[in-house]
Amino acid sequence: MAELSLIEELRSRSDWEVLADDNLPGKQAARVKVPADKLPEAASLLTGRGAFLLTMAGVDRRPVDGCFAVYPVFANPKDGLIIEIEAVISPDRPVYPALTPVVPSAHWLEREIKDLLGITPVGHPDPRRLALHPDWPTDVHPLRKDFDAGAVVPRVSGEMEFCPVEGEGIYHIPVGPVHAGIIEPGHFRFSAFGEDVIDLQAQLFYTHRGVEKAAESKDFNHAVLVAERICGACSVSHAVSFAQAVESLAGVEIPAAASYTRSILLEMERLYNHVGDIGNMSAGIGFAYVVSRGAILKERLLRMNMRLAGHRYLRGMVIPGGVRAGVKNLPEIIAGLNGLESDLGELTEVMLSSHSLLDRMETTGVLPLQAALDLGAVGPAARASGVDRDLRRDLPHAAYGDLEFNVPVQQQGDVLRRLKQRIDECRESFGILRQAAQKLSRGMLAVKIPDLPPYRTSVGCTESARGANVHWIMSGPGNTIYRYMVRSASHCNWPVVPICLPGNIVPDFPLINKSFELCYACLDR
Amino acid sequence: MTVNILSVLGQMAFLLLMAPLVNGVIKKAKALTQCRRGPGILQSYFDIVKFLRRDPVVSVQTSWITLLTPLVCLGAYLAAGSIIPLWDHRGIVFGDLIAFTYLFALARFFLGLAGLEPGSAFGGMGASREMMIATLVEPVMVLGLFGLVLTAGSTDLGALAGAGWNPAGALSFIGLMIVTVAETGRIPVDNPDTHLELTMVHEAMLLEYAGRQLGFLHWAAMLKQLVLLALLVHLFWPQPTGIPVAAALGLIAAKVTALGLGLALTESVLAKMRLFRLPELMAGGAAFCLLAVLSNSIM
Repeated sequence: MAELSLIEELRSRSDWEVLADDNLPGKQAARVKVPADKLPEAASLLTGRGAFLLTMAGVDRRPVDGCFAVYPVFANPKDGLIIEIEAVISPDRPVYPALTPVVPSAHWLEREIKDLLGITPVGHPDPRRLALHPDWPTDVHPLRKDFDAGAVVPRVSGEMEFCPVEGEGIYHIPVGPVHAGIIEPGHFRFSAFGEDVIDLQAQLFYTHRGVEKAAESKDFNHAVLVAERICGACSVSHAVSFAQAVESLAGVEIPAAASYTRSILLEMERLYNHVGDIGNMSAGIGFAYVVSRGAILKERLLRMNMRLAGHRYLRGMVIPGGVRAGVKNLPEIIAGLNGLESDLGELTEVMLSSHSLLDRMETTGVLPLQAALDLGAVGPAARASGVDRDLRRDLPHAAYGDLEFNVPVQQQGDVLRRLKQRIDECRESFGILRQAAQKLSRGMLAVKIPDLPPYRTSVGCTESARGANVHWIMSGPGNTIYRYMVRSASHCNWPVVPICLPGNIVPDFPLINKSFELCYACLDR
Repeated sequence: MTVNILSVLGQMAFLLLMAPLVNGVIKKAKALTQCRRGPGILQSYFDIVKFLRRDPVVSVQTSWITLLTPLVCLGAYLAAGSIIPLWDHRGIVFGDLIAFTYLFALARFFLGLAGLEPGSAFGGMGASREMMIATLVEPVMVLGLFGLVLTAGSTDLGALAGAGWNPAGALSFIGLMIVTVAETGRIPVDNPDTHLELTMVHEAMLLEYAGRQLGFLHWAAMLKQLVLLALLVHLFWPQPTGIPVAAALGLIAAKVTALGLGLALTESVLAKMRLFRLPELMAGGAAFCLLAVLSNSIM
């Protein structure tokens, strides 16, 4: 029982305080208080035992106890162990030793903490700003409690910081933030030698909405609506993650009917995303036939969603404590899915037997396994590179613990494998939906959430179509949210995209980008 | 000579008016193969009218090249189109196959310059790709056409009517069809419908254009497509002689449309090629043209 000894090992440190905790999900959970200067040591102890970083939140606790704190949360997939580390940081000098040198996947999280809370990770290899752009004053940190969310911040002038690539024949291609197509804003700067990409740097976060700030001091029943609106294509996943965090905090179990309903909704969301992406990836290579067939299949799924839940993107179903209403017309939907599965099979057969498609996708945009592991890539993109990680299996949520499914994994990590990964995952989703429809019984759909203990933390996570969506909350007084931190799948995977570019040519970038199909809204939360 | 000049002017007008229709038909056919309804076949006319009624926005960084290029392109393709004797085989006032080829090169030269001039990243990228493709396409085109010249013993397009209507011509036809796909910026070489700036070739050079000038450039692209298709029809699918002009024009229109539908179909079943695979495609085209030349000299 190596995992038990992990907790024992944590206990053995004299200055670390280990508490078993029921407010965290997972089969076992523990909360470890460590001094701020011991953070990297604690983190490397955990990752050395196979745990990975789920999320990391910074909190301005000054109104409560006069200090800042950071909370890295780790999960050990082998036994569903969740460990939250808490480190208190002095408000006079808000610094702590950076985790990134020992846990590279913390790099964006720590830069965000620095931008939004003004807590500096000392020794971070990339001290540039991330979420805030150069026109934002350097001493204003919007997630601090003394920052008024309605305040108009005077903009300053500043230059975007890019690491220059120099040399004979190197030229730079700035792309965006306004693009020729109707897509979300992102600025990409390519350094290219002829058509060969040497380096890609991205500036994102153009439409940051302050969702986390907006959720603060809202009642949790109200905040779930905020969670649902973080992203259009992962509404269910975000809402379920948030609801799970609240439920763990309150210590309630949701009824079986509710957990099966959530699984059905989550799988329908995965299906319409995956099917849409399977078709849409071909837009990057101008294969119009496949694009439009994929769009038709996706539209059929959206209409099924409408029949199933009264909303094409399945909004308004999930509430803390269960689901608001049962799914409707389930037999009809399952019959429709059978037809859709065979149509999808025909389409993917056309795709995978098209020589011109294979030629473009194979060996393009390879994400190496080690990079995926180090940077904490999630979802189908990570599994296509050989990362055998799926939160549905590793940290069972909704009804996934009672459903049988495989987690397909590919090895080569190129665009074609990311396509095949989605095709394989669709097959599993059809199976899960059939099982869940069979096992779904009538019964109570929701339980009442008792009053939340104030200033306690919890985490909820789901596996969305793009990967893990992890929501971390700290409760405030009177059933409100004190701090809300969303780590979306796209937040994990955006930093990975530039890794796949060098060695490819400039016109292959749209294809590689589409094969990840990342969401800007999930970043700009 | 008067008659000839009139017929040349008539032919120019015919090509100008016909080009958007052929483009509309191709677009419609593509839409139908993709299970879409697609725009009406007259949509390209509406688009051109829309653009022509708008004032252009021109960067202060640019010179006369940017202003002149749309007209140079339109003019070059129009001139090239007027060399092809669509209904009058007695020979045309000026030009032959070599003039035809280099009128295309002239337009491309100006378009490349205009792509570079505003200094935007995409224009330069498009221009460099266009020039790379041009260096591959031009030899194939010349080789394919000269195979036919060997048969007919003349570079005059009047004498070349139907010169490809023989077994060796079938080889040239395949080679020149590949050239046509590349020259018209169609899949698998370029994607005319894309909004992905980084993958663009022809469209990237046009990104800084707006209004009337953009309208001229779009019209020029459609005209180029029609002229190339008309050339293929003229060389490989000879017209019956002695029919009235109206019938000849109708026949031309039908044949050009048929070839265009072929383009639409290939475009629907293929994905765009990786940029650096294009030399292989063009090498294939060159091989066909070379075989045509060889089989001519043997027979």
